[in-house]
Amino acid sequence: MLIKLPDGKEIEVDQEGFMTNPELWNEKIAVSFAKLDGVENLTPEHWIVIKYIREYYTQNSLAPMVRNICKTASLPLKKIYELFPAGPAKGACKWAGLPKPDGCV
Amino acid sequence: MTEIIYLDNAATTFPKPPEIYDFMIDFYRKNGVNPGRTGCDMALEAEKVIQETRQMLTKFFGAKGDHNRLVFTYNASDSLNTIINGVLKQGDHVITTMMEHNSVIRPLNHLQAEGRITVDWVKTDKKGVVDPDEIKKLIRKNTKLVIINHGSNVIGSIQPAKEIGAICKAKGVLFAIDAAQTAGMVPINMEEMNIDLLAFTGHKSLLGPVGIGGIYVREGVDVKPFRVGGTGVHSAYPYHLEEYPWRLECGTPNLVGIAGLHAGQKWISKHGLDNIRKHEMHLAQELVNGLKQIEGVVIYCPNKLENRLPVISINVQGFEAADVGTQLDVDHNIVTRTGLHCAPKVHETIGTIKSGTVRFSFGPLSPGKDVDAVINAVKDIAKTGLSRTKTTKIMFEVYTC
Repeated sequence: MLIKLPDGKEIEVDQEGFMTNPELWNEKIAVSFAKLDGVENLTPEHWIVIKYIREYYTQNSLAPMVRNICKTASLPLKKIYELFPAGPAKGACKWAGLPKPDGCV
Repeated sequence: MTEIIYLDNAATTFPKPPEIYDFMIDFYRKNGVNPGRTGCDMALEAEKVIQETRQMLTKFFGAKGDHNRLVFTYNASDSLNTIINGVLKQGDHVITTMMEHNSVIRPLNHLQAEGRITVDWVKTDKKGVVDPDEIKKLIRKNTKLVIINHGSNVIGSIQPAKEIGAICKAKGVLFAIDAAQTAGMVPINMEEMNIDLLAFTGHKSLLGPVGIGGIYVREGVDVKPFRVGGTGVHSAYPYHLEEYPWRLECGTPNLVGIAGLHAGQKWISKHGLDNIRKHEMHLAQELVNGLKQIEGVVIYCPNKLENRLPVISINVQGFEAADVGTQLDVDHNIVTRTGLHCAPKVHETIGTIKSGTVRFSFGPLSPGKDVDAVINAVKDIAKTGLSRTKTTKIMFEVYTC
């Protein structure tokens, strides 16, 4: 389905809001996803996580292990949940433009 | 390396007792040939272990018939597909329950969608248990099969198989059970319970490896094979053999898997089924006792675990089940299974279809200290969860069995 982002552009997402065509992702889309989830400003910590997930996905076509996200960003998991209230899968991976990761309901 | 607390034994038991790994490796090294295909001593020895395993499991399940009617499959889903597709014909009616795994739900749905069968789904009480009379009421002239999940992989409820079996016997309806979670955990006596077809997997409480399962087909019941091919015997005959076990087995058997079941049977016999179950149920009860003290935790089982499996499902307010599982894994090294557990109708029943639950399941080697670790971890997560409940949109329907 199509959703309208806060900047007015429309993108195709699945029923849970994950991008169906991850190649079309850009940083503006991450900012828009964050706003849809109630986070107005992305901090440098947000970007470290998003860029790591994006880079890992580009190389492996998979979401990275959550332990590796924490390790790379040098952040405890609790902090990841503060940054991405819906968590690493339904928050961080979604904002990074990944399709719905395996293991999600 | 940090110690992992593995509480996903309902998915597969881990670790297995060391004797089982040792036996499988040693057996495969010494006798890893193709059994039943040649007369060499190594092949005969391999075949001997296969036949012994059939005998052990036939006895273990209280079947009085020929041990060759114990056939090996890949897993419980394979067994259930074989049963469902092998006994049902055009126009048959099936009765099953809301506690089923997709291994029953999907084969039945496919046959129903093709217009070949009709299905009735029996609801349970709040503890997840079916009333046998509800099944009795639904039996009609064309009812061919009653198939039930013996023990729920989500909430641990055990169905009254003996009572349901008696009804089926009186009405002349085939009775099949999915014993994926109960084989090796709950005593099963096919004769006393009037079970016609028993489907099991090998890698859970029977303590074998993945990739092995089986069916016991009671004498007088026939299952039409939907796979045919090599049997190693009567090779000049142009069709698949009708005799068991070949009727439902074709191709080279999973020798290592069967050896694992052989070793598993010896381990269970040595330690006693009752003792194994007491150990696991004690841990499950301790876990429930601890979790129910924590604010923000919903537990989907009765306070007292009677006639249940050591499988406990929970949710923590403020987080989806998957996120609780992630925190247990990453912050506390506790392995669980989250989501719908391939049993969506159970989650419909308990009101958790949106996000599922977090499931803890014990194994025969689970140590007691695991329970304290889980309780402390859930306390930590629930504290954070409660602080998030006003800031997130996640809501749970509260349902307690």
